[in-house]
Amino acid sequence: MKKATALLLSGMMALSMVGCGASDTATTEEPTTDTAAEAEDTTSAPEGGVTIQVTTTYAGEDTNAQNYKDAVAAWEAETGNKVEDSSATSDETFKSRIVTDFEAGSEPDVLFYFNGVDSNQFVEQGKVVSVDEIRETYPDYASNMKDDLLGASPADGVNYSVPVNGYWEGMFVNKEVCEAAGVEVPTADTTWEEFMDICATIKDAGYTPIACSLQEVPHYWFEYAIYNHQDAKTHNTLPTSADDEIGQAWAAGLNDIKGLYEDGFLPENTLTATDAETFQLFTEDKAAFLIDGSWKVGGIESAVDDIENFTVTHVPGMGNRKSTDEIGGLSMGYFITRKGYDDADKQAACVSFVEYMTSDEVVSKFAGTSVTALKNGAKPDTSSFTALGNAALEYAGSFTGISPAVQDNLNEAARAPIFGDMASIVKGSVDAADAVAEVLSIANE
Amino acid sequence: MTARIYKNKKAVPFFLIPAFLFMFVYLYYPFVQNIINSFMHIKYIGTSGGELNTPVLKNYITMIQDPKMLIALKNTGIMIIATIIGQVGLALLFALLVSNIKKGSGFFRTVFFFPIVISATALGLLFNLIFLYDKGMINQILQFVGYLDISTNELIDWKAEHAMFTMMTPVIWQYVGFYFVILLTGLAGIPQELYEAAFIDGGTKWQTVKYITLPLLKNSIATCVVLAVTGALKVFDLPWTMFVNGMSDTWLTGTYMYSKVYSDADYASAIAVVIVVLGVVLSVVVNRIFRQDADYDAS
Amino acid sequence: MNNTKSKKLHISPGMVVVYLLLILWSLTTIFPLVWSVLNSFKNKKMIYSNSFSLPIGDAFSLDNYRNIFANYNILSAYRNSFVISGTVALVVILFAGMAAYVLTRYDFVGKSILNALLYAGMMFPIFSTIIPVLRMQASWGIVNTSSVPVNLLSVILPQIAGNLSFAIIVLSSYIRTLPIELEEAAHMEGCNIFQIFFRIVMPLCRPSFVTVGIFSFLWSYNDLFTQMFFLRTKDNWAITILLNNIASKEGVNYGALFGSVTLIVIPVLIIYLVLNKQIIKGMTVGAVKG
Repeated sequence: MKKATALLLSGMMALSMVGCGASDTATTEEPTTDTAAEAEDTTSAPEGGVTIQVTTTYAGEDTNAQNYKDAVAAWEAETGNKVEDSSATSDETFKSRIVTDFEAGSEPDVLFYFNGVDSNQFVEQGKVVSVDEIRETYPDYASNMKDDLLGASPADGVNYSVPVNGYWEGMFVNKEVCEAAGVEVPTADTTWEEFMDICATIKDAGYTPIACSLQEVPHYWFEYAIYNHQDAKTHNTLPTSADDEIGQAWAAGLNDIKGLYEDGFLPENTLTATDAETFQLFTEDKAAFLIDGSWKVGGIESAVDDIENFTVTHVPGMGNRKSTDEIGGLSMGYFITRKGYDDADKQAACVSFVEYMTSDEVVSKFAGTSVTALKNGAKPDTSSFTALGNAALEYAGSFTGISPAVQDNLNEAARAPIFGDMASIVKGSVDAADAVAEVLSIANE
Repeated sequence: MTARIYKNKKAVPFFLIPAFLFMFVYLYYPFVQNIINSFMHIKYIGTSGGELNTPVLKNYITMIQDPKMLIALKNTGIMIIATIIGQVGLALLFALLVSNIKKGSGFFRTVFFFPIVISATALGLLFNLIFLYDKGMINQILQFVGYLDISTNELIDWKAEHAMFTMMTPVIWQYVGFYFVILLTGLAGIPQELYEAAFIDGGTKWQTVKYITLPLLKNSIATCVVLAVTGALKVFDLPWTMFVNGMSDTWLTGTYMYSKVYSDADYASAIAVVIVVLGVVLSVVVNRIFRQDADYDAS
Repeated sequence: MNNTKSKKLHISPGMVVVYLLLILWSLTTIFPLVWSVLNSFKNKKMIYSNSFSLPIGDAFSLDNYRNIFANYNILSAYRNSFVISGTVALVVILFAGMAAYVLTRYDFVGKSILNALLYAGMMFPIFSTIIPVLRMQASWGIVNTSSVPVNLLSVILPQIAGNLSFAIIVLSSYIRTLPIELEEAAHMEGCNIFQIFFRIVMPLCRPSFVTVGIFSFLWSYNDLFTQMFFLRTKDNWAITILLNNIASKEGVNYGALFGSVTLIVIPVLIIYLVLNKQIIKGMTVGAVKG
């Protein structure tokens, strides 16, 4: 139905009626024409139908954007309620919109958002409702979840949100590059020293061992490099000073990254390349390894022709960290805001919506290979998985220890001395220990 | 100086209020908040107030000692000079040339406008591919003509070795068309009779330009220079898509402020204040320079 | 068009150089547009492997457009965009013209302060004013409402304010060059100040009003940042935010990005082509009346 002529016509129509008054009539008609399928819900508030405002990050490149759309439509059909969805890709603009909305009182009724430091502000101001309070009225709320995995707020240790799909971080491998360089794909038994030898061999064979843009996305390497000087129990703790045990572990990890840079294991232009550029090295068989998150599985699948050529494995460990101790967790969840919960008309609909979106079936569908908080565990449908998807499933099932990313405990400002200035650290103009001290001084401000 | 008919000033407020009311509500009032914020300690972006910094001028003291801010100021200074010469200069040249040709002027008018309509994201991507390290357009051409050695896969990392050039070229190129259109519109206001008179008097092309066009175009040129200077102070989108986190020390005041907006809101506010102050001062200076010798033709 | 220089007329060596310069520059400006349009007909793997190749044969693909037209209500987005940017351009022309006229022709107390404020107004980075604006508009109840026109208004108002400084500064420089005698003559004939502005100044400055209108429209149309704050649900989306969402949907899906760029650019170019005639017409009109 959408022809170029129709497009032109409507463009001209819009032009001819530029001005406030004329636009009213046209805009009110529009939604009915395109969403005829849902017409029963969209026509002016049917009996008992409630409209709730929902904001999530299931939009744009998120692999679950379509799943989310489907789930919302199913919930709307089941309950006769309507969702006014203002989901958007999570970036800094989105985050500042969310916090400003809470400040200005224009927050949504239900919010799917980060449960770490990013939520501190509205948690501290009492603008979201705790899981316990909801359970006073709705005893079954989030009863299918393990309470200690819900993701308690770092501000006060109370559960406010209900998680859906988590994430893990792992090392993706381009098998063809390994083969061409004559090295084995690293396994759970590969040690850090062996990994360094592998990288050296790959480099000598004329390939880039590790695809990473230190300028734009040093985050994954930071996480695992310092993890290698700690273990799964101690990793998720901020240092109190740059000199304490954890602080030294951080500096040692940063110096390992500096070592990778000096040994030439990173792309030659790692300090000027974008993440997209280094990712391309990996997908085009020029680089062997890439550390990234579980969400990257889909990105690799859609970027390459031969998915059989790719797999995911453990980041080789050293010291107390076994290679099978991984980074992962549940960093986001559904919040019900005070505004939505205290609205007598909307309360039940908000609760029903979150319960639906966090039910075993929906969570299993969203989770794919990632971590969940479900008591019964997720049961992903593996029939449509690619080779890489199956490798990821196997990878996710072989953890011996798991720790959340420690960087999630730092706000943007505190991260800046490390993540915004990796070039100075690896080039040696800023000492790693000084950078750690700088991070802590901002974090403790 | 004021003409007779403009002695009665009763109507003045009616003409000024609509525009300035808009600007007071949507620009000046928010910016006053921004100035206040620059003295505060803001824990979360989006929150109002908080508490005063100790000392109150903390952000400004930090800024003076901040090596990245100094780099940003230096680079922005270079950018300002480059935009005046590159953008306004080229735009003026092209506007004069196009207004002096008979065939095809409509064509050039249109195509010079193209770069302004394409979003910074797309242009950033284009220039990233042109300056790309491996298989980038320029490096491929240089290898093809033998400047770079193919056998050893010698490459130039444009974002490291010639970072300023790589950053400024796209910005300058993009806005030449903008000033071109403004100057062309200025040329439209010059009465044709003056040229005819000059032609009858036997003036050469160059004399016509020098004694008629340029003096009459001075207002437009001054405006363009002001727009170029202020534009250079706050430019951020194209450099930001090409040089994330100011790689190779390519900070500009605009990009450096943007990098702080979400992580250090009050410091970013202080940088914004500095940008605005510099912009106003430079605008006034530019106007002074152009006004000095403009007196003779000011009615 | 390139054959123009081979036309008879006078082909002096100077003219050859002039045309060479202009053609050289136009090649650099045409290239990115053609490149974007060509890449919009390729899938993303083709763009990755060689973005400078032509989409011919197997390489040709309409997938990017099929994807956009099948999954999104692009017509509603175009309409929202035209309502927003058209309103912004018209209001800016009117208000900026009035202010510029008075600021150039009158002398009054506080004029230099207003001029300084104008330059300052042009300098305010959008990210330092957007949050107070969001808070203010939310307190008025015009943010995130269920009414599409009201939501569009919440974008229109800040965008008008954002374009006024530039518009006043540019219009002032043109009005200053107008011969004041025409206005005096009109005054003699009994025109009041409003009539002088609307009947004499505005028509005489038509090319510059058109120029300012074009740029106000363009900046409003391309202003993703304000749209991201105020246009949140699908019915409210304008074209730039809609296409930004599409382009980001598959990460670094450059194919979708270029499809988006093409769809965003085409209406603007059409408008410019139409209005550019007005600027040129201004040249001849100026000749008659000057």
